[in-house]
Amino acid sequence: MMTTDTRSPLAKLEPIMGVLGPLVMIVLIAAFMGVFEPARYFRLSNMNQILLDAALYMPMAVAMTFVITQRGIDLSIGSVAALTAIIMAFLIKQYGFSAWVAGGIALILGALMGFINGLIITRLNVPDLIGTLAMDLVYRGFALVLAKGLVLARFPELVTEVGRGQSLIFLPTPVVIGLLTVVLGWFLLTRTHFGRYTIAIGSNPEASEMTGVSVDRHKIYAYVFMGTMAALAGIMLMGKLNAIQATSAPYFNLHVIAAVVVGGTSLFGGRPSIVGSLAGVLLLSMMINALVTLRIEFFWQSVASGAVIILSVAAYAWLQKKDRDGAGSFREALANPDTQKTIRMGGLLIGGLIALLAIGALFATTPGASG
Amino acid sequence: MTGQQPVISMRGITKRFGGVVALNGVDLDAYAGEVLAIVGDNGAGKSTLIKILTGVYQPTEGHVELDGKRFAMADHSEAIANGIDAVYQNLALADHLTPAQNLFLGSELTRNIFGIPVLDNERMLQEATEVLKSRLGVELRDMNVAAESLSGGQRQAVAIARAVRHSDLRVLVMDEPTAALGPQETARTLQLIKTLRDQGLAVIVISHALDDVFEISDRVHVQRRGRCEGVVMTKDVTPEDLLGLITGAKTAA
Repeated sequence: MMTTDTRSPLAKLEPIMGVLGPLVMIVLIAAFMGVFEPARYFRLSNMNQILLDAALYMPMAVAMTFVITQRGIDLSIGSVAALTAIIMAFLIKQYGFSAWVAGGIALILGALMGFINGLIITRLNVPDLIGTLAMDLVYRGFALVLAKGLVLARFPELVTEVGRGQSLIFLPTPVVIGLLTVVLGWFLLTRTHFGRYTIAIGSNPEASEMTGVSVDRHKIYAYVFMGTMAALAGIMLMGKLNAIQATSAPYFNLHVIAAVVVGGTSLFGGRPSIVGSLAGVLLLSMMINALVTLRIEFFWQSVASGAVIILSVAAYAWLQKKDRDGAGSFREALANPDTQKTIRMGGLLIGGLIALLAIGALFATTPGASG
Repeated sequence: MTGQQPVISMRGITKRFGGVVALNGVDLDAYAGEVLAIVGDNGAGKSTLIKILTGVYQPTEGHVELDGKRFAMADHSEAIANGIDAVYQNLALADHLTPAQNLFLGSELTRNIFGIPVLDNERMLQEATEVLKSRLGVELRDMNVAAESLSGGQRQAVAIARAVRHSDLRVLVMDEPTAALGPQETARTLQLIKTLRDQGLAVIVISHALDDVFEISDRVHVQRRGRCEGVVMTKDVTPEDLLGLITGAKTAA
């Protein structure tokens, strides 16, 4: 039996798209910044800052690659990071624990929270989206209960070393830690049962079950890994800021999921890319740093991250569509009565909005102090 | 086949699901080196029959004999351990894994590095290539592609190879092996089945395609409404006879 590769050249690119896509965007950002803000963006200290920001997300992106490859999602990682870091901070500041022991406790607690997430999803049959979203509230709530409005600050050197040390001459310690987790992730994915079954479960859960793979147990493993890496990120964040509070790490979920998806790991399961996730993390850090360098308001970061997620997922969906012939021309699509109704709907919404704005402006009075 | 002892026998198998009688006192014998086809209309009890044979279901009444000895299977893995395995219609491949990874899914080979069991990808690739070639005569040009890019026949070969990889496999059950295949792939799959039969396996094939049944089977077991309507030698009947048995218009001599 012979294999003939009848895929289009575009489809053949697909396996490396995960790395290629972010790389192209990284080059674009670099080129753009090279034109507009070369002096400030390409300073050595700024490059260092980009790596430092990226390092925080590397462990979580690696673990999230496993979770998403299994067709799962974890929306609780920001709260896991905050809660474990706060418990660690209390152990150090109030109970005089050594930073090593407290760090170990934080990592185990993170693993335990992941374990609980896994049990909720596999044993209680709560869908991952709802289950981890609810647990996000629970973990965040515990963090608030423990820390109230307190900001815990000034930690032993070990903690700050993990967060912003410069252990190697040119690489910050967190970057070394982040890259180590990438290597660990690659090893787990290609060389262990856990990695193999992660792909199998995301690819065909029924077939995996039939061939004797313990689907639930390996799903729990992925969430335990995720929780541990979230706790590690919590420690790194605490070290980086030398402070922690209950509302820390609010955007971890979206940022990490964005990095993984941008990196080419399929949201539909079975197709991981550890290197892509690393590239995705770097891309997001470069982008956010570029926004800061251009003095664009912080709040636009959220808009930019969301747009990047939509763009990359749409691009991958388009790439994976087997039958592109059926799409037809733009003109044909417009002629489709269904499309016309959809356009009319959009037009109606925008028209209504404009009409109301016009009426509002027309009858507007001078705004009073108490409205 | 007479005088030879069947590898596997089912005796008086009855299976009830609540008030529904799926099987009613069915006997079945399968011999080494022969292809037994099971035919019958939808709802005739074919699937229930093979699920009992492969340990997925337990019979309500009756028993299974292996080499003439009574033998109860608690689950499917016990059937596999005793040399009975099945290849299902949907093939059960993970699309994003390579043929070798699929072949060893659930029973990966490992080697120890500093006491840690690590997947031995090289050895699995080697052995998968070997099993495909020596047992099935199949050579894939590229063993490193994902299963999704294989043809239907190649996927079938990988699924069969997963079952026959166990050297102690004696009974292979195939559920509609050609249902999703084109003519050329069907011919290849039928050839695979003959190859396995010649290697001394007892092959049990469920099929709706009477052409296939006549090409590969030695005997045909006809199921109708939960009962065995008759077992005939394939060479002694015509397709019309068989159709008559399936629909109940005729009875076995």
